[in-house]
Parts: sequence; structure tokens; C-alpha cells
Amino acid sequence: MAVQPPWTFSFGKSSILGHHFKNTSYMQIQLENLVPVPLRDKILQRSSDIWNRQIIFTPGSFIKIKAPSGTGKTTLVHYLYHIRTDYTGQVLVNGQSWASYSKAAIAAMRQDQVSVIFQDLRVFEQLTARENIELKRVMNGQPYCTAEKVTEMAAKLNVTHVLNQSGSTLSYGERQRVAIIRALVQPFQWLIMDEPFSHLDEENAQRAAQLIAEECKARKAGFILTDLDNDTRFAYDIHYNL
Amino acid sequence: MPSFYQLLKKIIQTGIGRSRLIMAAGGLGIAMILLLIAIQAHSDFDQLLYSQQNANESADFLVINKKITNAMMGQRGQSMFTAAEIADIRQQPFVEAFGFITSNQYKVTAAAPGDLHFYTDMFFESVPDSFIDVKNEDWKWTPADNTIPIILPNDFLNLYNFGFALSQDLPQISQETVKAIPMKITISQGLLTQEFTGRIVGFSDRISSFLVPGSFMEWANGKFGTGVVASPSRVIIKTKDPSNPALVKYLDDKGYNTNQDKIKYSKTKMIVQTIVSVIGFFGVTLLLFALLVFSMFIQLVIASCKKEIQLLVTLGTAPRQLQRYLMRQFVPLYIAIGIVALLLVAALQWWASGQLAVHDMVISPWIATGTGIAAVIVIVLVYFVNRINVRKYINAIS
Repeated sequence: MAVQPPWTFSFGKSSILGHHFKNTSYMQIQLENLVPVPLRDKILQRSSDIWNRQIIFTPGSFIKIKAPSGTGKTTLVHYLYHIRTDYTGQVLVNGQSWASYSKAAIAAMRQDQVSVIFQDLRVFEQLTARENIELKRVMNGQPYCTAEKVTEMAAKLNVTHVLNQSGSTLSYGERQRVAIIRALVQPFQWLIMDEPFSHLDEENAQRAAQLIAEECKARKAGFILTDLDNDTRFAYDIHYNL
Repeated sequence: MPSFYQLLKKIIQTGIGRSRLIMAAGGLGIAMILLLIAIQAHSDFDQLLYSQQNANESADFLVINKKITNAMMGQRGQSMFTAAEIADIRQQPFVEAFGFITSNQYKVTAAAPGDLHFYTDMFFESVPDSFIDVKNEDWKWTPADNTIPIILPNDFLNLYNFGFALSQDLPQISQETVKAIPMKITISQGLLTQEFTGRIVGFSDRISSFLVPGSFMEWANGKFGTGVVASPSRVIIKTKDPSNPALVKYLDDKGYNTNQDKIKYSKTKMIVQTIVSVIGFFGVTLLLFALLVFSMFIQLVIASCKKEIQLLVTLGTAPRQLQRYLMRQFVPLYIAIGIVALLLVAALQWWASGQLAVHDMVISPWIATGTGIAAVIVIVLVYFVNRINVRKYINAIS
């Protein structure tokens, strides 16, 4: 049975109450004995802070999940964002499993509650960099930030010069920064990131991290970041080892 | 800045199945034209039938009797309708009103006044007033009246004037003259005799009989009759459409007879109905194929953009938004096809009405309401079928 979450709001209608409600009700993500089916034997042989445990991600906190290659880092991100479901156990969102939400409810959450930066970036090649960002900005009918704000963020990440280039001609580094901006133009309470700086040099990585931290703070939002190594780019609240 | 739908347009290319789309659109257009022509032709033919046969009335009257066959000769009872047969005729859907034709149960003789030397035995019949096509103030009778109003069949006067009078070198008589001649009518049963003055008040095209008012017939049958109510051997029905094939078949099956001239359009109508049905059938078949091709086109577009659609959904695009976008690409096309088909049929109708007018056949130069409604129904049908398809294929991959 698909369940409409209690905090969904209708598009096209803006109400002061609704906005207020949106900012004060936090989306809770909870893992219950989550184990990926393909990695089952491997995972059960060793200890993990995430797999096969009961975990509640505290809303608003900055969470780092360190994961060596092959431990299921990207798999976890896909489970959290509900684009893969080959697991045992549960991912609970506001107390209900992902599977219990309707497609429309999930789309509404992805537009307003949870944002994502994929490791494989996933930029439309037939659109320009700016159009890729614009697509996400205007998707929910009521843009969260202005077009000027996009230009501003692009300037901070040194990608202003590629905004009008086709997605297919962008380098990996440029695509990664476009993907970061795209993830930041929408409202969210959780930002899920999979190696978000893998293609960036140290300077650009710092700039991106600073922008991400600013945007999360502005929304009182938390993030879940997975990466291979330790880093000090953010003031993490919690560390996990996958 | 481009809108969300403009961005979607760049991502979901609908150009891939262009040839399929053209086929589907062409098929839909032809299907629609065939269907509309079928419906329009049906309506036109109805108009032609009714306006030709019956300019002022929307119904026709048929006098029905049993066929007299050699086997039945000499057995009067066989030509009479039984109560069950009458009940059966009454309940047929094409019978709007039903009446008996009541015969006299006494002897009637008529004689012309003065020295015309005309004397004949004759008979009377009566039908309910609502079945009579002669409207006349004098058409009434009470037991106090000594004058009986009589309606003659038009054919009777024609037979006399153009058959009998010419061959026998007798004078031809006008309707007015006949109306002016007072006839001496004598009705009798055994020794009981009474004389009346008969006055012709009109001539009927509808009923081939000598008609007197029902009130007279009732009175006279009561006074001079046998006292036994006789079964009728002729009945009259009112029907909207005497060329209704169902009616003609009913009469044939039961071995009943009526004025064949009135039902002669039945065969024409059946042929036209068959042709119209075949056109309509092709229209419906073609419409189904067009829907199938549309469905294949939608499937192709969605399959060819599968990756893009999946990424859009991953990024949070609602399936509803995608459906709405895709339907927006198609709906103007259906409406355009609908309008073009309607205009073509309207032009055809206008032309046909002009052509038929030359032959004194009147049909409306405008298309029938039903045709317009059918066009709207087809567009709505195509819309819903495509919407279901779009939803199905989007859901399948998202």
C-alpha cells in the first residue's frame, strides 16, 4: 500500500503555514538491519557501523561515512535515495519504509526534502550546464533560489565560463561542480553525497565544501557524505565506518 | 530562462517515431472522416425519407389486414384478427397508436337523389377519429342527427372519374359536386329500416374505405346489429417510420398485408443502412488500428528516452509531470485532426446538399449534431487511450 506522507505539500500552492511547517518538520532517516543481497556473505564476515545495524540519522547533522572500495558505498547511497532495493532489512523514512511511499510521494520528497550528488554525476548531455541546473531549479514549480543565485554559486565554484556549454563537452571536474550546484538549488533537509569531490583539485574541493556547508546551514539541513578516506573539509558531527 | 516543459522537450525527443506518428495521425484522420460520414449519411437519409414521404407529419398510418389466400376463401373467421394477434401487434415497438376498423353489421344501401338513377348496396366502416386525415367540422354524429357525414377514399372518386365515367360516357364529377349531393342512405336489418341523408364531407388518402363517425357506427350496430361484437379484419396503426425493416419483416412473418407503396422505402433504407454500417465499421476498425499505432509510437518514444526518463525520475520529476508533458505533445494533434475531419465532412455535406437540391431533395447544408458529438467522442476516446498508454509505459520504466 502506498502511503502519502503526512508532510507532503501540493505544488503550485504556496502558503505561509505550509512553508513554516516544512522547515520545522524534519525528515528522519533510519536503517534497520540493512544488508545488501549481493554483498551479504562478505558483510556478515566483518564488522560495520552501518550494515546490519539499527541506526537513526539525526536530522540536521553532518554525517561522514568512510568506506574503502568494495564495501558497498555507492550501494548505500542508492539505498538511501531509493533507486535500488536489493537489500534485506529496511530503510525507514519518517518511520515508514521507502517501498510504502507512492511514486508521486517519492518525487515530491526528491523535489523538496532530499537532494543527491551521485558519484557518476548524471548530467544530461543534451542540455547545457545551466539548463541542467535550471531543470532542477524549476522542477517543483516554485523555485527555491533565484537564477542570479545560480550564477553566484557557479562563480564560487569557477564554472561560470562553462554554463552555456553542452553537458557532453564538460570535463569530469566541471560536471561534478555542475552536479553540486544542481543539488543545491532545491529545498532539502538531507543532502546525500557520494564522493562529491572525487574529480576536483584541493582548492576547488574546499570551495565546494564551503558552499555545501553554507547551503545546508541556511536550510538547517543535514548531509550524509560517503568517501574513501578521512578528511577535514567539514565539521562532521558523526563518523561511521562502512 | 526556459520553463520546465521546454527543458523536457530538449530531453525527450518525440521526433524519433515521426513516421509512426504520421501514420497514426493519418489513420486517425481517415477513420474519423469515415465515421463522421457514416453518421452524417445516416442522418441525411432519415431527413430525405421523412421530408419526402410526409412533409407535414412525423408519422404514417398503415392499414393492416390478413392476406386472403385461396385456402382461406369461404372462411370469414380466418381473415379476422384474434385478441392475441391484436395484443401482439399493439406491443410492437414500431406501433405508436393502434385502432380497429369497425364494420357495419347491417345492410346499407345508397341512392342518389332525384333522377340520377343511382342505387347501390354498400358498406360502412369506422376508425378512431385520430386516424383520419380529413379534418372537417361536420365530422360528428349524434342520435338526434338525420344526416350522416361520410368520408370516401380518394381512389374511389378517381376510379369513377378516370376509369368508369370515361369508358361509359358518363360525366366526370368534381369533389365539390360530390360533397354537394345528398345521398339517400337506408340501413336495415330484417324488417327494421331507417333512412338517413348521407353527406360526403371529405376524401381520404389514408384509408381505403367508406368511413362514418364512430358514434354512428356504435349506435347503428347496437340498434341494427346482431349484438355480437365481431372481430376486426382490418386494423390501423400509426408508425413513425413505415420503411422500418423490422416492421416490414413483422408483416411478412405474420402474413399480413398493407399498402405496399408505403413500405417501398424499406428496401432502399436497408441497402443504405448496410452501406452506412460498412463505412462505419471500416471507420471503427481503422480507428482501432490508429490507436494501436499511436500506442506503438508512444511506446517507441518512451523506450528511446528510457535512460533520460529514468534520470528525470531519479532527480525527482513526478510521473505525472512526464505524463502531462507527453500528452501536451499529442493533444493539439488530435484536436487539429478532429477539426480538419469535421471541416471536411461539413464541406462535403454542404456540397451534397447543393447537389441534391437540384433534384428537389432537401437535406440540411449543415452537419448533424450527432456528427459533431461523434467527433468529440472520438477525440476524447483517443485522449484517454493514449493517456492510459503513456501512464502504463512511464510507470513501467520509472
